[in-house]
Amino acid sequence: MEDVPSRNLVASLVAAGAATLASSVLADSALEHYRGSFRNPAMVLPLAAAGLGIVVNAGRALGRDEGRSIGISSHVGSMGVGATGLGFHAYNILKRPTAGGMNGLFYAAPAGAPAALILSGLLGRTADTLRARPAEQRDAIGRPLAVICAVGLLGTVAEAGLLHFRGAYHNPFMWLPIVLPPMAATALARDAASGSAHPMTQMLLGATVALGLVGVGFHIYGVARNMGGWRNWRQNILAGPPVPAPPAFTGLALAGLGALLLLRQRKEHHG
Amino acid sequence: MRSYSETEAVDFVIVGTGAGGGTLAARLAEAGFSVIAMDAGPYWRPLEDFASDETHQEKLYWTDERIVDGEHPIKLGSNNSGKSVGGSTVHFAMVSLRFRPEHFKARTKLGYGADWPVDWREMWRYYAEVEDALKIAGPVRYPWGPHRGRYPYRAHPLNAAAEYLARGAEALGIDWTETPLATLSAPRGKAHPCVYRGFCVTGCSTNAKQSVLVTWLPRALAAGAEIRDLAMVGQIETKNGRVTGVQYHREGEWRFQPARNVIVAGYAIETPRLLLNSANGEFPNGLANSSGLVGKNLMVQLNQAVWGIVEDEVRSYKGPPSLAISEHWNYEDRGKDYFGGWSYMSQGPLPITWARTLSGGRGLWGQALIDEMARVNHSVGLKMVGEVLPDERNRVTLADECDQYGLRIPRVTFAFRDNEKAMIRHALDFMDQSLAATGATERWQESDDTCHLNGTARMGNDPATSVVNSDCRSWDIPNLWICDGSIFPTVGGVNPSLTIQAMACRTADRILLANHEAS
Ligand SMILES: Cc1cc2nc3c(=O)[nH]c(=O)nc-3n(C[C@H](O)[C@H](O)[C@H](O)COP(=O)(O)OP(=O)(O)OC[C@H]3O[C@@H](n4cnc5c(N)ncnc54)[C@H](O)[C@@H]3O)c2cc1C
Ligand code: SF4
Repeated sequence: MEDVPSRNLVASLVAAGAATLASSVLADSALEHYRGSFRNPAMVLPLAAAGLGIVVNAGRALGRDEGRSIGISSHVGSMGVGATGLGFHAYNILKRPTAGGMNGLFYAAPAGAPAALILSGLLGRTADTLRARPAEQRDAIGRPLAVICAVGLLGTVAEAGLLHFRGAYHNPFMWLPIVLPPMAATALARDAASGSAHPMTQMLLGATVALGLVGVGFHIYGVARNMGGWRNWRQNILAGPPVPAPPAFTGLALAGLGALLLLRQRKEHHG
Repeated sequence: MRSYSETEAVDFVIVGTGAGGGTLAARLAEAGFSVIAMDAGPYWRPLEDFASDETHQEKLYWTDERIVDGEHPIKLGSNNSGKSVGGSTVHFAMVSLRFRPEHFKARTKLGYGADWPVDWREMWRYYAEVEDALKIAGPVRYPWGPHRGRYPYRAHPLNAAAEYLARGAEALGIDWTETPLATLSAPRGKAHPCVYRGFCVTGCSTNAKQSVLVTWLPRALAAGAEIRDLAMVGQIETKNGRVTGVQYHREGEWRFQPARNVIVAGYAIETPRLLLNSANGEFPNGLANSSGLVGKNLMVQLNQAVWGIVEDEVRSYKGPPSLAISEHWNYEDRGKDYFGGWSYMSQGPLPITWARTLSGGRGLWGQALIDEMARVNHSVGLKMVGEVLPDERNRVTLADECDQYGLRIPRVTFAFRDNEKAMIRHALDFMDQSLAATGATERWQESDDTCHLNGTARMGNDPATSVVNSDCRSWDIPNLWICDGSIFPTVGGVNPSLTIQAMACRTADRILLANHEAS
């Protein structure tokens, strides 16, 4: 097999994105489903799926390969568990009384978390495809991948927007994930449409990668602002903003950078 | 904290630091006036001084000696008055509602009670100011009344007790919503968000509750006001038809604080008591009492409830006690054989309160009481806040007995009339239907509770039929003001504190305006 560094880089970026999303889902669902006392045995499934997803995708991001079949079962498993979770969470929201429609959306099971698991499976699958395809067929993946990342980013923005609205945007920094990722998503979608990669898009996606990591810091601070702070971590990690949530932006933006590289190569190859 | 001397008159002495007095202290100090706000109660620091213990926290209540009589003597104490810096809001239930606009003109619009001498639109602006000052956590859309702006913070999650109210309302086809509450649903400055342990009516030990103690009073201090705690005002002195200052009891002795203006804000029993106790040669019937109305038209609110047992574990004591509300019967006038409105809310009684309810309200004792207490996690209830009409026979007068300060104690005379009885019947029946619709069994009615104290120094447009004018200024004495629950001409079917604070903000602005015009 030929060894084109950029191919490895793209597949690695996308796999890293999938692994990051899976990590976010693993930590988040572990916390939230622990809060829900794992009342339904199916509540362990996202932990298992995300756990496997981390192993497989992180391995591939680092150039290792646990084999094709385990890859497929991991990716398809993530998508399946994510889709089922979406159904459960929708039921959880809808079974509540709905004054003004918002209390359930604010406080019931979130739609964003299982959606992130679906995206993680989708990205993992895409990374595998990238590795398997001959070079001249890879560029074509750039556009659909860019669209997936853009849509995923916008979905994550919607989730952050809803939950930060629940927090009444009491800290002005809570606007950051509402402002920056949509700019990155729009730029990426525009590049996918025009078929050319802009440097600005790369900057915006890079900033979104960083935002997801900085967000963890903000959420750690947010937990500290609850009664008892981190000394009372066992309660406050559940009461405060979800510490593992923001890296969903990082994961999607990493994969978006991969998509951008493919768009650039396509331009180079096709002029 | 700044402190003023007793040798020089300050611009304002405010008697009482609760919803009325605390709010005014902040607004007037911020406007540049020199202000001393006195309170008979102590200045608590909730984080250190409050325990999660119903008995210990009785230290917050006004339990000085009083005489209650009449056909339905009011139970005074925990459920209606506080003796603390911050007033009753230190242990209030945080429900923060606006009056229905028509209720400000009950006489002309709805044919009962009396009109307020203010326009609801103006009050609407002051409500918004107070809601922002307290960062009220409320629903995204309020189902009743004219448009209101977005609440500053989002509503809290519903507890199971609130879901029972919601399901019942939906079954009966009426609107309900998340109750606008004065407790934080997100951090604010150094204050943490609510931790949902439900000790609200014994005083919040986390400072999530946005009482006067943690909202207006820090502002007052920052603006240079002095809060003089443990200072019981016994008499307001006058000379040549104007007040000159207050006699107050502190650290075992009577002292005098001169003031250019005095504002009385001691709530609807202590306010008329102080005005009556201040009678002197110039004002033999008490201060501000040329109409003879000081102490009259005392209005509590109806606080009847329906309780039942459900299969789920509800644990209704989790979280603030009233997370869901229906104001349907404040805004719907059809189908009533009485005047006025009422709202009802979900409930979350603490253990001792619940034991009292079961023994006093339901008559359980011994093993029956113990067995019922053991089912507390499955108990669920709905409680009304209902309008009592003004009636001069319901009143506060002075008894001959004296209290620990040597001051004559108040006698509180009260009876329900036919209108109240009809409203109670309707409300209990309706709440019973609502609980029944959610599958609650073994339902029973708690039929004699009351809450809140209003009236006794009503505001109005005519000196013959009111004690203060629309600026809360006494008709008789130009530098004496009354601004608390006692100025209410009617009470409506909502809890009063938001209206008291809105009126205090308005009064501050009116004082400022008058001051500008004079200078
Ligand atoms: C248990 C409980 C729950 C409540 N829940 C709600 C609710 O959910 N929503 C709502 O809107 N309202 C509620 N209320 C009612 C609300 O707290 C009162 O209506 C409001 O605080 C009254 O404001 P005020 O300024 O008239 O009097 P207060 O807030 O009672 O303040 C009066 C202050 O004056 C002081 N004082 C009195 N006389 C003197 C004197 N002579 N010298 C010195 N100091 C004096 C007292 O110590 C007291 O601190 C509740 C009340 C209680 C008790
Ligand atoms: S439930 Fe919330 S408002 Fe009530 S006492 Fe606890 S922290 Fe304070």
